[in-house]
Amino acid sequence: MSQSLKPYLTAVRYSLTAALNLSNFSSQEVERHNRPEIEVAHQSMELLLNPMHISRNEHEQVLIEPSVNSVRVSIKVKQSDEIEEILVHKFTRFLEQRAENFYILRRVPINNNYSISFLITNQHTETMKVNKLVDFIIEFMEEVDKEISEMKLFLNARARFVAEAYLSEFVY
Amino acid sequence: MSYLNNPAVVMDNGTGLTKLGFAGNDSPSWVFPTAIATASSSGASTNTNASSLGGSSSGLSNTSKAYLTANSTSATNFNNLSTNALLSNNLSGKRGTEDLDFYIGNEALAASQTGSYSLNYPIRHGQIENWDHMERFWENSIFKYLRTEPEDHCFLLTEPPLNPPENREQIAEIFFESFNCAGLYIAVQAVLALAASWTSPKVSDRSLTGTVIDSGDGVTHVIPVAEGYVIGSAIKNIPIAGRDITVFIQQLLRERGEVDASLRTAEAIKQEYCYVCPDIVKEFNKFDREPSKFAQYIVENQEKTKRKVVDVGYERFLAPEIFFSPEIASSDFLTPLPTLVDQTIQACPIDVRKGLYNNIVLSGGSTMFKDFGRRLQRDLKSLVNARIQQSELSSGSKSTGVDVQVISHRRQRNAVWFGGSLLAQTGEFKSYCHTKQDYDEYGPEIVRNFSLFNMV
Amino acid sequence: MLHLPSNNLLLQKTINEAIEAYAQGKPIILDRIVSDFDHTTFHVSTPETNNGDIDREQLLLSITTRAWASILNTTNATLPKLQEFLLAKLQLPANVASLPQQVEQGYDFTVALNLSALAVEHLDTLSLLKVYILSYPFQFAIEEFVQLSNAIVDEAEEGIKQSEKIYRIDYRNDESFYIRSSSDRITVCFQTTFQDETDQIFGKVFIQEFVDSRKRNRSIQSSPQVLYSNEPPLEIKSEVKSLSPTKNNNNFITFVLFPRHLSNPELQFKTISTLCLFRNYFHYHIKCSKAYLHSRMRYRVGTFVKVLNRAKVEKADDESESAGTKKDLERRTFTGKKMVY
Repeated sequence: MSQSLKPYLTAVRYSLTAALNLSNFSSQEVERHNRPEIEVAHQSMELLLNPMHISRNEHEQVLIEPSVNSVRVSIKVKQSDEIEEILVHKFTRFLEQRAENFYILRRVPINNNYSISFLITNQHTETMKVNKLVDFIIEFMEEVDKEISEMKLFLNARARFVAEAYLSEFVY
Repeated sequence: MSYLNNPAVVMDNGTGLTKLGFAGNDSPSWVFPTAIATASSSGASTNTNASSLGGSSSGLSNTSKAYLTANSTSATNFNNLSTNALLSNNLSGKRGTEDLDFYIGNEALAASQTGSYSLNYPIRHGQIENWDHMERFWENSIFKYLRTEPEDHCFLLTEPPLNPPENREQIAEIFFESFNCAGLYIAVQAVLALAASWTSPKVSDRSLTGTVIDSGDGVTHVIPVAEGYVIGSAIKNIPIAGRDITVFIQQLLRERGEVDASLRTAEAIKQEYCYVCPDIVKEFNKFDREPSKFAQYIVENQEKTKRKVVDVGYERFLAPEIFFSPEIASSDFLTPLPTLVDQTIQACPIDVRKGLYNNIVLSGGSTMFKDFGRRLQRDLKSLVNARIQQSELSSGSKSTGVDVQVISHRRQRNAVWFGGSLLAQTGEFKSYCHTKQDYDEYGPEIVRNFSLFNMV
Repeated sequence: MLHLPSNNLLLQKTINEAIEAYAQGKPIILDRIVSDFDHTTFHVSTPETNNGDIDREQLLLSITTRAWASILNTTNATLPKLQEFLLAKLQLPANVASLPQQVEQGYDFTVALNLSALAVEHLDTLSLLKVYILSYPFQFAIEEFVQLSNAIVDEAEEGIKQSEKIYRIDYRNDESFYIRSSSDRITVCFQTTFQDETDQIFGKVFIQEFVDSRKRNRSIQSSPQVLYSNEPPLEIKSEVKSLSPTKNNNNFITFVLFPRHLSNPELQFKTISTLCLFRNYFHYHIKCSKAYLHSRMRYRVGTFVKVLNRAKVEKADDESESAGTKKDLERRTFTGKKMVY
């Protein structure tokens, strides 16, 4: 693990654990509704807490937006060139397509600045262990970087193999 | 639009067999088992034939003979392929390219015999279970067997009834993202089987209403379709299909102590000699009177040096009889096929029942027995007539009667594929496809809906 | 599968079926479409005789390919000349293959096969028909190359002579390849585009490796030199048309063939047939790597879900108990298979 990655992940871990202090909260505006307040554009600003922005560098950032009954975590995955960009795009879209399996995954990131977003509500924290959820997010951040660089390596290795195999057809 | 002039590709991936071909043809170009042989990690190291980089392996003539074998009718049998020809593009030993080292279809069965490949069937019960294998199966189907650039062709794929929409999305993800196919249409197998019956002279109006009896290798479905929509709640199935008939024949052969009672022999007997009789008791008597009814099947070994003679007796009509009298083979499933068809139609909305009785369509290899359709029609008619009589008695009014018609036609074996070929060659087909542009704009969920073909 | 085969498997199989059926005395009536890469379609059919009967002795094989018109155009060849060339290439005895009076409508080239004399070994050349068509302009280029190189030797001149003629073959709708000879080499340049953004980026990685691998790997040093640019190379610039407005999507990949790749007819053919599949090979492998990435991602989804499920608070025992009873309820067929509903 490189020098600055560890403090970055530690910062995310503690901020997230602090933010995941959620309680059941009925909607103030619509009767008998109970919705993730962070997702609703509304007037009752008192339900939203201050968003936290953790940035390792301009390519790797995390935005945590807490509210009284839900937290939104958005992650920007490192993309240093256009290959990584396309790989991250493909990978996150593949995951979002299967969001059903992930319970806390949002089908779209909150905006174009982030690669992927999670939405954790009080229902999730009631059925799942909070520290394990945080573990998941941290592991996700580590693994995604690893996976993207492995995919990139694969692509280069495959391209090399394919090119050599083709050209060796001309060796008589 | 470059893809408009190219023939559409029709693919019917079934549990046992895959049928591949081009729209407009009268039969599928390739029929082979839906099997994929992947390099097994343990066996890969023992295989040292990794000369693929030598460049000498591209001999044009020596590798090609093996694939010339005729289309399969069985999912477990393969025609003897010389396995040596397979090893020419062996990639094992080259790290990071394991995903290119696999075979599909008949070649997969042959390769699995060598021990360094393990055989997998990616489709179970009609539904795709292993997407990794399926994706590579398609990849090889398209580039090796059909030799098409998917960017230039539209694809028609089939799915079983009640396939979850998520599976469709996964198919779209593979076809549009991996292969960039020009257009995609996913049709329900039963609907295509109905369309295939339009070639029969008995069919006067080309409607998409009818009952489809689809019997393949694993399971027999009875599927009611009303105007192109499957009535999902009424679908019924019986656990009797091709495989069970083969096993039943094998059992009879064993009991009689024939010299060869392998599954392969039983399958050959089933395909060559079996037929459906109108009445078993009479048929038994007939056999006793005319010894010419008994047949002999000759098993030859590969080199055609040794011959074994297997007598074929009552199983000629007894084996297909298990559709109509299941009690002779099974103790837990006792509903005969005609009764099940009747129950299925009775479970449908009342206004479509006449159409469903009127157009009962057969599809799949296990409906190919001689007189299968006739017997089904007779049995079903008597069930229906009995009910009509009863209701006439109790109500006192005269019924207009229900016309029961079972349609069997020449394209029955590959009915689903053929129906796909018929529909995909129409001019409108390409406008019904979802294109790559649509996919890029709206995402995989577009394939949840396809517009139905207009019946002309 | 690493290399795409040059021959058409399905064409072989289809004709073989006809031969076998004929040999067994039960000739089948065929009317089949078989396709090949790059907008190529074959049609195998049983012809009708003049009085409308079906002629079971004969089999017609027709081909249409996108490149046909441009091949005729660029070589200034007449239609009969090209037809003769192809018939000669098929190397079939006169009693097996002949040219019918007219080409089947909608197709570019038709050959009539006599089923009574056709044998399995004739299939090898028939299945290469498309390659033969594409090899036609190459033949001209090779002739010029031989002339030019002889001229240099004869006149003992220094320097390189370049042919004036550039062959341009439009083998797909927006894609062409160009051939130009000079006294010491033949240059073949592929112009290719990518429909998809992902393909374009993946394609760049692949092309870069094509360019570099010859320098890196000593064992393939004798292969053709590969060059790449977004601009049409100077040699062929005058012939290039239809440039895509976005500069990024113009890809020119040049193969420089040296005399050793053309030293005898067999090598010439091997070189040509490999080159003809370049575009297909290249795009095939882009698709394969995308398929592989998909399976990696599927695996990742599995591991992530596993990690996430660790977070779940486990329910009391009653859940597992109900699952047990459910299992017992599962119906099985009498051969022991699970029922699906």
